Amino acid sequence: MRAFLRHPAVRRFVILAIAMAVLEVMTGPPGSTDAPTEGIAHSFTQPSSFFGLFGTLRWVVFLFLALVLWGVASLWAWRGASIKSTLSSVTAVPRQVSQRKVTRRGFGVALFIVALFLPHIVTDPFWHAAMVEQIAIYVLLAMGLNVVVGFAGLLDLGYVAFYAIGAYTTAWVTGALPTPPLFHHALNAFYAIPAAIVIVMLAGVLLGAPTLRLRGDYLAIVTLGFGELILIFANNLYGITGGSQGTGSIPHPSIHLGPIRYQWGLDPVPYYYLTIVFVALFIIGFTLLEHSRVGRAWTAIREDEVAAESVGINPLKYKVMAFAIGASTAGFAGAITGSQLIHIFPTSFSLLFSINILVLVIFGGMGSISGVVLGAVLVQTVSMFLLHSPPSGYQSADLYIYLGALLVVMMIFRPVGVLPSRRRKREIGLAEAGEGHMDEVLTGDTP
Amino acid sequence: MSENIFDVSNVTLRFGGVVSLNDVTLEMRRGEILAVIGPNGAGKTSLFNSLTGVYEPQEGTITFTSRDGTVMSVIGQKAHRVASAGVARTFQASRMFSALTAFENVKIGAESHRGIGVLGAMLHGPRTRRGERESDALTIELMDFVGLRDKANTISASLSYGDRRRLEIARGLATNPQVLLLDEPAAGTNPSEKLELTELIRKVRDERGVSILLIEHDMKLVMALAERLYVLNFGSVIAQGTPEEIRANDAVIEAYLGAAPTTEGK
Repeated sequence: MRAFLRHPAVRRFVILAIAMAVLEVMTGPPGSTDAPTEGIAHSFTQPSSFFGLFGTLRWVVFLFLALVLWGVASLWAWRGASIKSTLSSVTAVPRQVSQRKVTRRGFGVALFIVALFLPHIVTDPFWHAAMVEQIAIYVLLAMGLNVVVGFAGLLDLGYVAFYAIGAYTTAWVTGALPTPPLFHHALNAFYAIPAAIVIVMLAGVLLGAPTLRLRGDYLAIVTLGFGELILIFANNLYGITGGSQGTGSIPHPSIHLGPIRYQWGLDPVPYYYLTIVFVALFIIGFTLLEHSRVGRAWTAIREDEVAAESVGINPLKYKVMAFAIGASTAGFAGAITGSQLIHIFPTSFSLLFSINILVLVIFGGMGSISGVVLGAVLVQTVSMFLLHSPPSGYQSADLYIYLGALLVVMMIFRPVGVLPSRRRKREIGLAEAGEGHMDEVLTGDTP
Repeated sequence: MSENIFDVSNVTLRFGGVVSLNDVTLEMRRGEILAVIGPNGAGKTSLFNSLTGVYEPQEGTITFTSRDGTVMSVIGQKAHRVASAGVARTFQASRMFSALTAFENVKIGAESHRGIGVLGAMLHGPRTRRGERESDALTIELMDFVGLRDKANTISASLSYGDRRRLEIARGLATNPQVLLLDEPAAGTNPSEKLELTELIRKVRDERGVSILLIEHDMKLVMALAERLYVLNFGSVIAQGTPEEIRANDAVIEAYLGAAPTTEGK
C-alpha cells in the first residue's frame, strides 16, 4: 500500500485531487453563522453543469478536472524526463542545474497557490484593494520594465507613458473619452486588453525605432521626454483625453463565453485573481524568453554590441523588440487599472511613477524575473503598510525619502539586487574587476 | 561564380585629416589563406573594419561575392548584414560575451541567423525546440572542432588567452561563414598555443572550406600559414605576393621586416 502511494503518478493524483477539493470548497456556496459547515457540505452536493453540456454534481466536475490535470502533469513529467536525458548526454550540463530548475518551479507553484488564497487570509478591504492596485499591477509593470532595463540593458525613464497609453486606450475603446470609440461602438473592457496591448506595442516601436540607435544616457533622456510628453498630452488635450478632469467612467469587464459568465465589479478581489493569473502567465513567458535565443541575443548586445553585430545580430531590431514587449506589459497593466479604477487622471502618470517602477527593478535585481517580482512585492507591501498604519510623524510624501535611501544603501552593499540573475551578477563582478565591455557600451565608447 | 570572395578597389578611409587607408586595392580568392601584414598603425585593423561594415570608407568599392554568386557591396552596409552574408571575424583584443559560458557564446553565433519569433520563444513551441536542438548540436560540434568541449560550461572571462581565441573562432564558425577574418589571433598566446592555433586555422580552411584572412605580427605564423600576403604601410599596399616573394622584397624589408633579412623572425 505504501509503495503504491509512493509511486509518482499516484502521488501526483492525490496532490491534484486535494488541490481540486480545496478549489471546490473555495468556489462553493458560502456557509452561515448558524451552520458553519453547510458551505463545505453544499459545495460537494450541489449540482453544477458540466461545461454547460449536461447537469451533474459539483464534485464530479472537479474530479474530472483533477483527472485532466493529472494527465497533463504525467505527460509533462514523462516528456521532461526524456528531454533531460537526451540533453545531459549531449551537453554534459551538470545535473545540478536542472535540479535547481525543478526546485524553482515547485517554489513558484507553491507561491502561486499562496497568492490564490491570500484574499481569504487577509480580509481587510484596504489590503484587498492594495493587492490589486498597488502590488499585483506593480509586479506586472516591474516585470515589463525588467525586459527593457534588465534583459536588453536600455535605461527607460519614461515607462509610465506606456502605462498611460494603455489606460487611455482602454478608456477610448470602451467609450469613456470625449473622442468617440472606433466606429462609434463602445466595446466590453475585456476587448480593450488586446487593443491596449497592440496600440502600446505600436507606440513602443514608434518611439524605439528612431531613438534606440542612441546609447546609454541619451536614450534615458529621450524616454524621459517621451514620458513627460504623454503626460502633457493627457493633461491638455481636453477634446481627446478629457484633460485634467480625467476620463468618463470606464465599464468593468465581463465574460460571456458559453457557460462561463462573469461580471467584474467594484470588489477588487476578482480583479486580483484576473491580474495574478496574468502575472503567472507573464512570468512563464518571460522566463522562456530569457532562456531562448532572443534572451541570449539581448545578453550579447548588452555585453558587447560590436561583437554581437559581428555574429549577425541586428542590435536595433532586438532593442525595439525589448521595448515593444516591455511596453505591451505596461499596456496590459494600464488596461486592467483603467477598468478597475473606473476613472483615470493624468496626475497618476507622473515621472515619479516611472522612477518608482525602476526602483522596484533595481531593488529586486535587474534581469532576474524572480528578483523583480519579489522586489515589487516587498517594496510595495512595505509602502502600503506605511500608508495604512503610519508610524507617528510619517507622512505619505516621506515614502520617497526612504525609497531613495534604500536605493543608495543597495547600490553600496548589494548592487546586484536582492535576488540577482546569475548572468547579471557575473557581469557586474566582471565590470568591477575591469573586465568586459559593459562601460564601453553604455558610454558609447566603441569603435 | 567568381573566383574572388573579396574585391577591394581604390578604397580610401579617412578620419578627419588622418588617412587610415589610402587607395587600397586587393583581392581575396575563394578558399585561400591570405595574410595582411604591416607595422603598427599601417591600417590593417581599419581594413578589417571596412571589410566587415564597421567603418564606412569615403572612396572606393568593396564587394563580397557569396558562394551562390550573389554580390554584395559592403560599403554602407550594416555590420550585422555583412556578418549574416557570410563574413565572420575575431577581434584584436578578443571580445566575448564575458558573463556567459563558452557554450552560450558559441550558441549565440549558431542561432543568430535564425528568425526571431518572440511568440514562438514565449510559447516554447515545437519549432523553437527544434531550433534549440539544432543550435545545440552545431555548438557541440564546433566546441569539439576547436578543442574546447571540456570547457563548455566555463565562464568565458575565466578562459586563458589561447582558449579565448579558439572560442572566438568557434563563435565565428557557428554563423556558417564563407570567410573568417582573424585579427592577430596569436597575440598573447604562448609558443605551444601558437602551434596549435596554426593547425586549427589550417583545419578551418581544409575541413570546413572557409577562406581565411589573417592579420598577424608573428612572422613565423604568417609565413607558415599564408599562401599569399599583402603588406600595408601608412595605409597603402606596398607589396603583395607569396611568402618567398615578400621575404625578398626590398620595400617590405625596409618598412617592416628590418634591415637584416633573415628567413624567420622579425
